[in-house]
Amino acid sequence: MTTVPTSSRDQAPGEPPPEAPEQPPEPGRGRRSPLAKREGRVAYLFLAPWFIGMVVVTIGPILASLYLSFTEYSLLQPPEWLGLENYRRMLEDERLHTALRVTFTYVLVSVPLQLALALALAFFLDRGVRGLSVYRSVYYLPSLLGGSVAIAILWRQIFGTEGLINQLLGLVGIEGQGWVSHPDHALSTLIVLNVWTFGAPMVIFLAGLRQIPAMYYEAAEVDGAGGFTKFWRITVPLLTPIIFFNLVLQIIGSFQTFTQAFIVSGGTGGPADSTLFYTLYTYQRGFGSFEMGYASALAWVLLIIIAGFTAVNFLAAKRWVHYGD
Amino acid sequence: MRPLRSLALVVPAAMLLAACGGDDTTGDGGVVELRYAFWGSDDRAQTTQEMIDAFEAENPDIRVEVDYADFGAYFDKLATSVAAGDAPDIMTMGGAYHSEYAGRGALLDLAEVGDIIRTDEISEDVLAHGTIDGSLYAIPTGVNGYAMVANPAVFAQAGLEIPDDTTWTWDDFAQLCTQIGTALGDDGYGAQDLTNHNTLSLWARQHGEQLYGEDGELDLSAETLAEWWQFALELRDSGCTPPATLSEELASQSAPEQTLIGTNAGGMSLIWSNVLEALSTASGEQLRLLIPPGVEGGDPGSWLGPSMYYTISARSEHTEEAARLVDFMLNEPAAAESFLTDRGLPVNTDVREAIMDQLTPVQQAEAEYLNRLEEAAGAPVPPAPVGSTETAGIVTRLNSEVLFDRTTPQDAAGRFVSEVEAALRP
Repeated sequence: MTTVPTSSRDQAPGEPPPEAPEQPPEPGRGRRSPLAKREGRVAYLFLAPWFIGMVVVTIGPILASLYLSFTEYSLLQPPEWLGLENYRRMLEDERLHTALRVTFTYVLVSVPLQLALALALAFFLDRGVRGLSVYRSVYYLPSLLGGSVAIAILWRQIFGTEGLINQLLGLVGIEGQGWVSHPDHALSTLIVLNVWTFGAPMVIFLAGLRQIPAMYYEAAEVDGAGGFTKFWRITVPLLTPIIFFNLVLQIIGSFQTFTQAFIVSGGTGGPADSTLFYTLYTYQRGFGSFEMGYASALAWVLLIIIAGFTAVNFLAAKRWVHYGD
Repeated sequence: MRPLRSLALVVPAAMLLAACGGDDTTGDGGVVELRYAFWGSDDRAQTTQEMIDAFEAENPDIRVEVDYADFGAYFDKLATSVAAGDAPDIMTMGGAYHSEYAGRGALLDLAEVGDIIRTDEISEDVLAHGTIDGSLYAIPTGVNGYAMVANPAVFAQAGLEIPDDTTWTWDDFAQLCTQIGTALGDDGYGAQDLTNHNTLSLWARQHGEQLYGEDGELDLSAETLAEWWQFALELRDSGCTPPATLSEELASQSAPEQTLIGTNAGGMSLIWSNVLEALSTASGEQLRLLIPPGVEGGDPGSWLGPSMYYTISARSEHTEEAARLVDFMLNEPAAAESFLTDRGLPVNTDVREAIMDQLTPVQQAEAEYLNRLEEAAGAPVPPAPVGSTETAGIVTRLNSEVLFDRTTPQDAAGRFVSEVEAALRP
């Protein structure tokens, strides 16, 4: 697929040899051939749609939201400058504090569980299971579906009062309850949903495991190391860059969770704010209460929180991540 | 190289053109395209489409595109499209949303199209609901009343009679409701949880208060509200209403087919009278509308109000055509013949007369109920103030806390007062 443009160009009949693109620009001389210049211009033209899109659809709105975060903006009227008022207000906003508690609980519980499950399954699949590619696809599937509206609706049914879980519990004589509609359990069902999407990190772990040279294990076996020692002394240290990569990615993704909570709670963050994720609260303020200025400020604080977590991750990584050599 | 370069020029240009081509509303041949937004069930979407077909047949120069959503998603969607400068030409409003939008300059002052929209046959009282700071921004679609709907089949199953609604009190209700709940056992409940901002408005009026006062301030005291929540807990504990988890599930489902009453698993529920038809269809039973219970020796507290409003976007490029559609929906019997009482009993008295014969038995019962309610109704409810659209969400959230025993009625009532007051503050 990706080779189509180059190959058709290279093999185009009647193309005079001097125009063949294989000729590299002369290095070190700072001069480029006319052909290279022309190709550069064409490249920029091809990049233009993407570039315009990024400026108009991404960078522009990001900067606009930074400005809006210092204003009162009702969506329907022009924004009015407020200074730092929106940020000050967050200190007293009790629902925001609830949202932070919910979101942190979700991230801190679901990410380690998800990564542990992903690593465990990757480890077993790596030991040579027949039909590996089938298992890999099956386990990867939830990652593709997990963030979708359809799965969230399904989840709501499965964990509902009349849902599958309660029917299964009923078979063994336990009377279940409405899991998503109880404030003590609603968040847990969403954590389970996130853990269930372990396929993406699992596939990355699998690739990482394949990179570890077999000779290390052979050497360890010669020295009499057992299964656990090999795992703990060889696999884990050599896999730390991959663990780190997955950790950073999953933390960032989990902080931004929105769809599942929105669908499962019907947009309210209920029952009793038990699934009021940070992004859901931001959405409620912005589109439900016409407080887009405050919502913009909330979005920027979330950015700072995520950036903070990522920075701490990178700093801590120096202590526990080993990059070979 | 040449084909390659021209391709590089053409592709971005085509993408830009495609991006710009989206909002061509005039179409070809001078046909104006209008967008009409409303919320509701599939039934409503269907009858609305019939109405639009009739309108387009009479007005070949206008094409109407409908834009409808479930009630739960409607106002979020509307706010998003209005903010994006993509407001529908005609927008259905409800509750206090027309004040929110008019107060922020998003609605057309209907005096500008006063020569197109006829309002002679609509009473001043009705129009007053859509008048904000002296200008008419919204016209009620129909008249509505809050009602206790009762399912005769469920009453019969429990061996009970439908009560006399001119004299009954909340105590009578609680007794009946608990009896039904006990009789049905695992098959159903006496009633669906009753707490929402409309019920609180009723409760306030029965206690000599209002949800909102004349000046747009909160006029429901924490004591009166705590009393309501105390009562709601008693109903839950006596088996009248379902346990908290089920109430929570039901609260997030607004479709008639998902309610207790619509599935014949509940004896009673507090609803707006215009939902009767949809609920009856869902349950397959001839549901009855009762005047809500009152307080011993107190005011009945009921009121007649607008069910929804028609408004026109201030940014519409086709205000004249939009006004023609609004006029059609308000004043043409042909329009009312398709949706009948689904948007409330028509506000135009001539239209109301014209459709009376065509009403189904259920809709006739609805019209009769509104006539009875008119006699029992007290003073009109003052218009809901800007900021009051938050109240519904605040009630739902605190109600969950109360039903799950995470807080006391007194504490929840105190938080309600402070949160609503904060939302109403300009």
